[in-house]
Amino acid sequence: MDRRKFLHQTAAAAVLTSVGGLTLPSFTKKRKHITILHTNDTHSRIEPFETSHHRYANKGGVARRATLVERIRTENANTLLLDAGDIFQGTPYFNYFGGELEFKLMSMLKYDVATIGNHDFDNSIEGLYKQLPNANFDFVAANYNFKNTVLDTHVKPYKIILKDGVKIGIFGLGIQLEGLVDPKMYKETKYLDPLEIAQDMSRILKEDEQCDLIICLSHLGYFYKRNPTKISDLNLAKNTKNIDLIIGGHTHTFLPKPTIVRNSVDKNVLVNQVGAYGVNLGRVDFYFDENNEKSSEGTMILV
Amino acid sequence: MKKALLVFSLLILFVGCEKKTISLIKTTAEIITIDSTLSEKAAYNKLIAPYRNKMIAEINTVISYAPKNINRYDGKMQSSLGNLLADLCYERANVIFKERTGKEIDFSMFNYGGIRASISQGVVTNKNPFELMPFENSLVVVELSGKKIMELIDYFIKNKSAHPLSKNIELLINNDTSYQLKINNQKFDLSENYFVLTSDYLQSGGDKMDFFKNPISLFKTDYKMRHAIIDEFKSLDTLRTSLDNRVILQ
Repeated sequence: MDRRKFLHQTAAAAVLTSVGGLTLPSFTKKRKHITILHTNDTHSRIEPFETSHHRYANKGGVARRATLVERIRTENANTLLLDAGDIFQGTPYFNYFGGELEFKLMSMLKYDVATIGNHDFDNSIEGLYKQLPNANFDFVAANYNFKNTVLDTHVKPYKIILKDGVKIGIFGLGIQLEGLVDPKMYKETKYLDPLEIAQDMSRILKEDEQCDLIICLSHLGYFYKRNPTKISDLNLAKNTKNIDLIIGGHTHTFLPKPTIVRNSVDKNVLVNQVGAYGVNLGRVDFYFDENNEKSSEGTMILV
Repeated sequence: MKKALLVFSLLILFVGCEKKTISLIKTTAEIITIDSTLSEKAAYNKLIAPYRNKMIAEINTVISYAPKNINRYDGKMQSSLGNLLADLCYERANVIFKERTGKEIDFSMFNYGGIRASISQGVVTNKNPFELMPFENSLVVVELSGKKIMELIDYFIKNKSAHPLSKNIELLINNDTSYQLKINNQKFDLSENYFVLTSDYLQSGGDKMDFFKNPISLFKTDYKMRHAIIDEFKSLDTLRTSLDNRVILQ
């Protein structure tokens, strides 16, 4: 409540300056800090890997992820937790409970937004719909048209979250389902061109919604070496503008560190993917300065 | 009152225009590994526990019995486990195929690498099918020309692996890799088309079984291999399988 009041006052003062042309003493610059935490392709991996596992021995585990997430939230209350899809499938937890526990745990972890991966259709679109009451977070998918499906109105193209006065727009992109998922599973879901949709979305979020930060949750895959022109996060980043961060999934890419890509207007975009199975958590910190003039200087990205 | 409203609206308008008062100056990013240095939040384990217990009980439910160890490496270019799986998938899928098309599947073929575990002597539980077939592969029927069947057999002979073939096959391989092939007791006919059961994974080119790509026709059973295994095991008190003469090396 206090924060809202403060915002109101600042906004009103700003109007006064512009209307009256008065030079009011400028406000002390306030730095704003938004933390984005993210996962992808957790694939029903609820418990840590067995100590005998050949690749991820004793890694992962939701109860440990919770410790880390809570620790970071204590550091910065303005934290969002996001997921880039393929929450379902991979352990018997999914086979026996259909994703109920996955969604309940994500709700407990206070996930804010997730997108839909191809495996989230593994119990058909009805199977996903059935579990939605267990998810206290939103799903976004801008390039799936769910009009003639049970998910109609339950999945939005994008979501806007206001944190500490920073307007954050988050939109989702899903992979082409044909050839990957049985049409019986995704039913009348229509796949739309992700690049065109991303260009539309970033324009809507930047120009119409006036977002300060634009994030794309993508299940398109990081990059396809054998098919380099196939739409992927790297290609998406290159061919769009105004997106600040692409959080990827699908290809289970364990990046050594987040990638910086130059977008269509030669500005930096951050592309990150944290492998799979909850082995890693991605963390991105955005720092904003209040200023009266639009800053044209490029922002610094440290990875 | 109206004036006040107008002023208010204007204010809102200006607020909209003046909103650009923050700019991104710095971004940092990192990837953090979740490992044992992080403690487990008890509340989460508390939520997980009843699911875990129920799941373990399910997994440990006895569904059949194995009188001996059944594995994929006890024969030459065939195995007791491969034979069991190829035959049960054939039997189960053939019922579906016959019902929907009026035709019969000629034989089944899968890949050696797709069998991910053995069955140990003793009780067989729900865990076994998950170990045998952790993937979500479904059964599909492909219609192949006689020429493609020859490619399939050439692949099988060259590969020398115990790729599972169903009992409908009788393949005699000579020293010089020439062979005699019978399918359902009939001599293989190059001019005939055959219906072959396999998995959607192999059909789409998995394990380089390219002869399954672009078939004359493709029939999807929507029946997962693992479900076929579970259904068959549940229907059997005892799992019986052996090596036989489906593949004979001269």
